[in-house]
Amino acid sequence: MMETENHRNEKQDKPTSPSRRDFIWKMAVGGGAAILFGKVGDKLLLASENTKQTREYLMVHVDYSKCTGCRTCESVCSSFNHRQVVNRESLLGLGNPFYSNIRVHSYNPDLDIPAVCALCPDAPCIRSCPVELDLKTGRKALYRDEKTGTLRNDPNRCIGCGSCQEACKIQRTDVIVLGPDHKPERICTLCDGDPQCVKYCPFNALSFAKVVPEREFYGLHPDIISKKLINRWYNTRE
Amino acid sequence: MRNQVFGYHGRLLDINLSTGKYSSTTIPSDDTEKFLGGRGLGMKILWDRLRQPGINPLSPQNPLMFMPGPYSGFPIPAASRTCVVTKSPCTSPVHSDYPYASTVSYSNIGGFFGPEIRFAGYDGIVITGKASSPVYIVIEDEKVEIRDAKKFWGMGTDLFDRQFIEELGDRRFQTCCIGPAGENLVSYACIIHTASRAAGRGVGCVMGSKNLKAITLKGSKMPNVADHKRFLSLLEDSRKGIKEVLHSPGFSLLNYFIIKGTASYLSWSSENDQMTVNNFRDTTFPDIGKIGLEAVQKDIWFRESACYCCPVACKKGGAVKKGVYAGVVHDAPEYETGTMFGANLRVSDIEGITKVIFEGDDYGMDIISAGNVIGFLMEAYEKEYIDKAFLDGIDLRWGDVNAARKMVAKIGKREGIGDLAGKGVKAISKKIGRNSDKFAIQVKGLELAAWNVYKNIGMGISYATSNRGACHQNGENVEVQNFRAMLDSLGICRFITYHSNSDVPGSGKNGLGSLLSAITGIEWTTEKLTEAGERIFNLEKLFNYREGFRREDDTLPERFFTEPVKSGPLKGKMLKKEEFDKLLDEYYQVRGWNPKTSEPGKPRLQKLGLLPT
Ligand code: SF4
Ligand code: SF4
Ligand code: SF4
Ligand code: SF4
Repeated sequence: MMETENHRNEKQDKPTSPSRRDFIWKMAVGGGAAILFGKVGDKLLLASENTKQTREYLMVHVDYSKCTGCRTCESVCSSFNHRQVVNRESLLGLGNPFYSNIRVHSYNPDLDIPAVCALCPDAPCIRSCPVELDLKTGRKALYRDEKTGTLRNDPNRCIGCGSCQEACKIQRTDVIVLGPDHKPERICTLCDGDPQCVKYCPFNALSFAKVVPEREFYGLHPDIISKKLINRWYNTRE
Repeated sequence: MRNQVFGYHGRLLDINLSTGKYSSTTIPSDDTEKFLGGRGLGMKILWDRLRQPGINPLSPQNPLMFMPGPYSGFPIPAASRTCVVTKSPCTSPVHSDYPYASTVSYSNIGGFFGPEIRFAGYDGIVITGKASSPVYIVIEDEKVEIRDAKKFWGMGTDLFDRQFIEELGDRRFQTCCIGPAGENLVSYACIIHTASRAAGRGVGCVMGSKNLKAITLKGSKMPNVADHKRFLSLLEDSRKGIKEVLHSPGFSLLNYFIIKGTASYLSWSSENDQMTVNNFRDTTFPDIGKIGLEAVQKDIWFRESACYCCPVACKKGGAVKKGVYAGVVHDAPEYETGTMFGANLRVSDIEGITKVIFEGDDYGMDIISAGNVIGFLMEAYEKEYIDKAFLDGIDLRWGDVNAARKMVAKIGKREGIGDLAGKGVKAISKKIGRNSDKFAIQVKGLELAAWNVYKNIGMGISYATSNRGACHQNGENVEVQNFRAMLDSLGICRFITYHSNSDVPGSGKNGLGSLLSAITGIEWTTEKLTEAGERIFNLEKLFNYREGFRREDDTLPERFFTEPVKSGPLKGKMLKKEEFDKLLDEYYQVRGWNPKTSEPGKPRLQKLGLLPT
């Protein structure tokens, strides 16, 4: 029942399990219009945006063969996105990886899988959000920033149910972390167009490039990626 | 007006495993200013808590400390190191009034553990007491839990690493654990982090004596820095500087040796007659081509791993792809492991070496000591000091990697001959007698490492004067020793300073000091930092002196003075005792210590603030 379109109008390489909820979220990413179906009362409503030009979103890609697990990416992401106010001036933070939007999962045998939001065209995270569409903005509590394609949370509307986190964890990359009020946090912002992780990775393992859902390992959970790669590279354990 | 201490949380997490109680203790700011953190602050705490000499290192009283430094947790390139500090279970003096006299032990470990201690909100973790049955500790910011570890007891560190994380259900935890060697109180057991990073030199034995299988933690905090803007700009400079050094085409130790891993030393050391071969009798290994960098690179390596925020990645992992040991997945041999289980035992089978390194790490034993012990036993067997029966039927011949593997297993389990062999060469030679101590290659009871001394008397001074027993990392003169004691106390990796042997690249002339000044708000010059290093080294010495260590303990095994090198370009050469003694005289003089007794002199101690004025 779910239809997925992405900027190339091609199918996802991995089918998405149907949402538990009654909502259908269909979105032509950046396509002529973002068509949003949501349940309002008992009717399906359509919200559209007037952006005509095709938009190709960019995301952070990982070359797992180059990643050394140094976690510099985590630290610079945390610094940039979790700033610190010093003498009333907002400065880069000190970089505790706890606050990072990219998270490196380490495995044994040695393998490090940085997980970062894949900007999924079908955004299971948004689909799972039970908050109704705002008719003016066409947004749920979790919504896509039209300009960058990144996911944002409206804390005023979010009810802290955690559905988005679970959807991402089960179906995709498991990048959403719930904050102390159970609202989603730490989803990649792309750093105002200048991804810090890409810029600072000492091993050139990261790149800032088009979302390509056909790419191997696109949108997969790090545990799944690690199994495949351990199998491929070490060929000893599952 | 400054009443906040910057750069530190100002508190330790104190856990008593006998009572199961824990608390957070304030660290006097005077201590951090004098001893920095890491190795230095650990020494200060040891000094404060063990008030008399002769305390049994395996008694509940001996604190086991995990000590990050003031750099730890900040994303300073290669600020990844943690020191484990405790009283050593490996060392003993020639004469002492105390049966349990031993030195301090500090062991430096890379990875992510130290930074995570700081994220959890502490500048160090101090563990005392002894649990009544095996436990592990879980720390999440303020939350501390001591949990039953019975099901993990006896488990090798590799399997433990994989199963424990599943048990925790969260890969954000950072863990240090021991293997069977630590549980069975092998004196040179180590503490293992991420299945292959090791804190050696006996600290795992102390952990085992506390019935502590593992300690794991994560956190959301960070200490504040005094001058935020200055810190950020220095950080940026040092990142740029290191990038330049690493990617410059010109030669530097940093981009040559370190990027190729320490395995690059294997061939270099053999070609330059500095290698430990044949239980130290030779300095060059004829089969080096089979176990040197090219072989390791070709046959084993395919992944590089870096410690926290490190741009170097000296850790090279891989797997054995062919032969009987195909399927072994582990770190590829690096300099120490490749030499001690390779050249020293005359083993030239790179796959077999990788296998036995895996097994040594899995049991959780210090491979420097284990390789030294097995080399000693091979020599004793060759010379018929001992027979096959003594070795439980193991035909322990040179070059036989399977015989070496059998010994590793015996040692790890403390089974049969392993019971004695697990106590180190000093104890074994004592048992064997008949002057076998001449070829027991240890100082103060700790085994020498993979750098031979015949050609490099400076390395001899490093081994002889180290405060933890034979240590190749100690430094060949006072200046280097003080510098390294300071580095070990900041929490930064020595390798990153290798491009000039003095500073963090790019951070300016007084790079280390500037960074620390921005962090703490106290101006740190190079001189002040080196003085801290000297203070730390002297407090360690005071501790050892009180235990009974004297000049007679600051020596080298007799072999180096009486037995010339057996083969190779150095054939016939040995160290001259007079030359060594002269160097030692000079050493004490520079240190301001009594040349007869090695007792630290009052004036110097006063200057360093180690005596009440
Ligand atoms: S900074 Fe680069 S190499 Fe380091 S963990 Fe991140 S992606 Fe991997
Ligand atoms: S990766 Fe997760 S958070 Fe990002 S778009 Fe996909 S489901 Fe949403
Ligand atoms: S936690 Fe908030 S954003 Fe996430 S699904 Fe629930 S309401 Fe939506
Ligand atoms: S692009 Fe920016 S926000 Fe996204 S993971 Fe990288 S550093 Fe973090």
